[in-house]
Amino acid sequence: MAVVNEKSSNFDFLSSLTSDIGQIIADPAMQRVYEAYDKVSQSMRSYLSGQEGFLEFKPPLIGPVTDPGTRGAKQTEIEFYGKNYKFMSSGILYKQLLAINRQKAGYPGRIYFFADNLRMEPLETANTDRHLAEFIQVDLEIVDADHFDAMEVAEGLVRNVYKDMSKHEELLKPIWSKFEDAWGPRGLTPRTEIKVPSKQFKKYEFEEAVAILQSHIDENPIVISEIEERFKIKVNKLRPDMELPWEYEWLLSSMHEEPFFIHDYPRGARGFYDREYEDKKGYLMDFDLLFPHGYGEAISGAAREYDHRKVIPRMKESGESLGKYKWYLDFLHKHGKPTAGFGIGLERTVRYFCALPSIMMALPYPKVPGVFNP
Amino acid sequence: MPTDYPYAQIIRRARKGREAIYPYKGDESRFSVFGANVSDKVRKFYTLEDLMITAPQFTPHRLEKSFDLISREPFFRDVDTSVKIGGFNTKLPIVQASMGSPEDWNIVADLSAKACAQLGLIYGIGENVAATWGYDERVNKKQPCLMDRILEYFENRVDGYGGILIQQNEEDAQNELWNKIYSDIRLKDYFDEGLIAFEIKGGQGAKSGIGGEKIVDRETALRLQDNGYIIHPDPSDENIDVKLYERHSSPDIFTEEILKNRILKLRNDYPRAKIWLKTGPYRDLTKVIRVATDAGIDAITIDGKEGGTGMSPTVALQNLGLPTLACLRSVKKIREEGIETSIILSGRFFDGAQVVKALALGVNAVAMGRPFLIAANAYPFSDIFLMFNLYKFGWMKKIGRIVFPPSQRNINYITNFVETIKLEMQLLISSLGKYSLDLLGSEDLMALKKDLADSFELKFIFDDNEASLTNESIKIST
Repeated sequence: MAVVNEKSSNFDFLSSLTSDIGQIIADPAMQRVYEAYDKVSQSMRSYLSGQEGFLEFKPPLIGPVTDPGTRGAKQTEIEFYGKNYKFMSSGILYKQLLAINRQKAGYPGRIYFFADNLRMEPLETANTDRHLAEFIQVDLEIVDADHFDAMEVAEGLVRNVYKDMSKHEELLKPIWSKFEDAWGPRGLTPRTEIKVPSKQFKKYEFEEAVAILQSHIDENPIVISEIEERFKIKVNKLRPDMELPWEYEWLLSSMHEEPFFIHDYPRGARGFYDREYEDKKGYLMDFDLLFPHGYGEAISGAAREYDHRKVIPRMKESGESLGKYKWYLDFLHKHGKPTAGFGIGLERTVRYFCALPSIMMALPYPKVPGVFNP
Repeated sequence: MPTDYPYAQIIRRARKGREAIYPYKGDESRFSVFGANVSDKVRKFYTLEDLMITAPQFTPHRLEKSFDLISREPFFRDVDTSVKIGGFNTKLPIVQASMGSPEDWNIVADLSAKACAQLGLIYGIGENVAATWGYDERVNKKQPCLMDRILEYFENRVDGYGGILIQQNEEDAQNELWNKIYSDIRLKDYFDEGLIAFEIKGGQGAKSGIGGEKIVDRETALRLQDNGYIIHPDPSDENIDVKLYERHSSPDIFTEEILKNRILKLRNDYPRAKIWLKTGPYRDLTKVIRVATDAGIDAITIDGKEGGTGMSPTVALQNLGLPTLACLRSVKKIREEGIETSIILSGRFFDGAQVVKALALGVNAVAMGRPFLIAANAYPFSDIFLMFNLYKFGWMKKIGRIVFPPSQRNINYITNFVETIKLEMQLLISSLGKYSLDLLGSEDLMALKKDLADSFELKFIFDDNEASLTNESIKIST
């Protein structure tokens, strides 16, 4: 009897994954998940290529250098005719190259990828329910835009997926009922319908988000030990000068009914390409979009740093050697101009709409950090 | 005709060119890891030798200690040398300094890992080890790879003590060493227990601000050039016929902002790792310590100019950087400001007296590099020097080496060496009537030079020192 035919918890799924992956794929409810995956993809494509006038490009698979701004995640090397190439951890450097040069050629500087990304995420992310080593990111870039412009596109895109998926509740319901027992233990709000967000998405400055969390914790100190127990982790103190650890994102997400933005992250938290405010030193023109109900981060985006004089010190902050980024720095030096963009995790979006306890269920052969399966 | 004009130096430069600026030439450079002259026989600066440890007759702490021991009087073995540094517990305030890939070190580095683990000491791993000798598979059968060092350490660790420091240089960064280590499933538990630190390299004693220098063969030169190093002469130019190439690596680029944000970013990217900084004998050392402290660094190692002398240009050895003792002056200033960050000092430390003096002036521990290398190789007729002399005096054309197979003997040598330091420390500290490291203070030292005494606010040893005794009794009674 296939474990996945029963009401399924996270743990059962993991053991089936390594013992008999075919059982998972043959499960009717899982087939509905894969169908929802297709629906979400179509919704995003039609929105970007249709309403918004973006052009889809085939993303690069490998290159001499890739996105280093991925928290502690290792890149993967590949030998390319005697040179060391990297598998893309994101196509961010290429998005700027494409968007800026497409505009130069006289077309709208709006481009996107459905990009395969490979990140050897640190092992602690195996508990987060929302990290995979291999995943697709819908990744876009807009010339002459800042992070607020990008947030507008992000909101439109996500709202459109809500609209489209709300028409498919009948497809989703058997998935929900399959996993509903696991929602509580994984800190997810019960799901009965897809409600298209009525209002504009809330926007919190990072400091505001930290303050909200801090006062919530001060009022309910027990919440920390609950998190520690629920996710089997040690919770560190909040710091206003560092990235929000995922468990705090979970907490904030679980306090919300609709998607919301956090913007203006502190400088130590992000990659060298997130632009720093001229008039608000130490803060970046960037944002995340979080799904509500405990599902957490879906999108990371930013206005890009494009002046090589600003990029170089930022690269040094990441301990990068400049020679490694030769083509990119040369490109910025000659052609750099303002762009903004973001990437939305496709599997994270599928997970949210299917109300899956873990992101690993969004793919037939997920690559979970530290788990060895087909 | 005798002359005081540096005639010979000019002739040497004229004949040898670039080779003349290093204390060792060509193939000899492998011997530089065994220690180069710092001052070229001209002693230019004060060292810890210019301070004396001065024991008092009246020792109220010894009396106190006897209350704890109840039935006997305290003696030197009662001095507790254990201490907490940068988040790690260690049995002695001695860190095995981060040393990297030179072959004469690497071949015994895993044995030193075992020795340090058993002794409860913090063990550092320098740059380029994985890139040169392999990450978890040996490139050369006889040479341990990076994971050999790490696992040897953890498998022999005394429960509750120790920790590992791991550096990453440009070539390691290209290979994403830290990311690789951080996601290595074999090390998960050690990260969870907080036993691993990543050490940012901001400098090296003897060549502060210059960057690493190395002599390599053509094959290595080509590979390194590919990874962004500057190589002289150009190994890809087939018209140039030389056997050995100079590898220059960047001293890295820091501003206050860059350092601060690099630390924040590392803490952000690697929440389960500790973050250490190794800096050099820079004139803005106090600022470096303040910036790193504000960003939440776990510990800072300062390499005085007498440290890291391997393959340093003679001109740097003689003229560049703050001597170790001057770095201690910066530490004093930082302590006066109330900054309590763990500080480790290195640069020609090799006996217990030096360690006690440095601790009395405010550092938390001392790092030693070369002493571990030399101790590990302390065979009868220590082969490396034999070979060096055979080579130097032209009795042997090519440097070979009689390799003693690494064995327990190397570990014993290191253990013996460390034990002597511990004993000396205990002897000296107990002579001060003190039995734990935190009681050490500047009242325990006097200076042999007046200007040194003024600078450190120590007693000049030939002054009337009545006042210092009064100070001490006040201090103890409070």
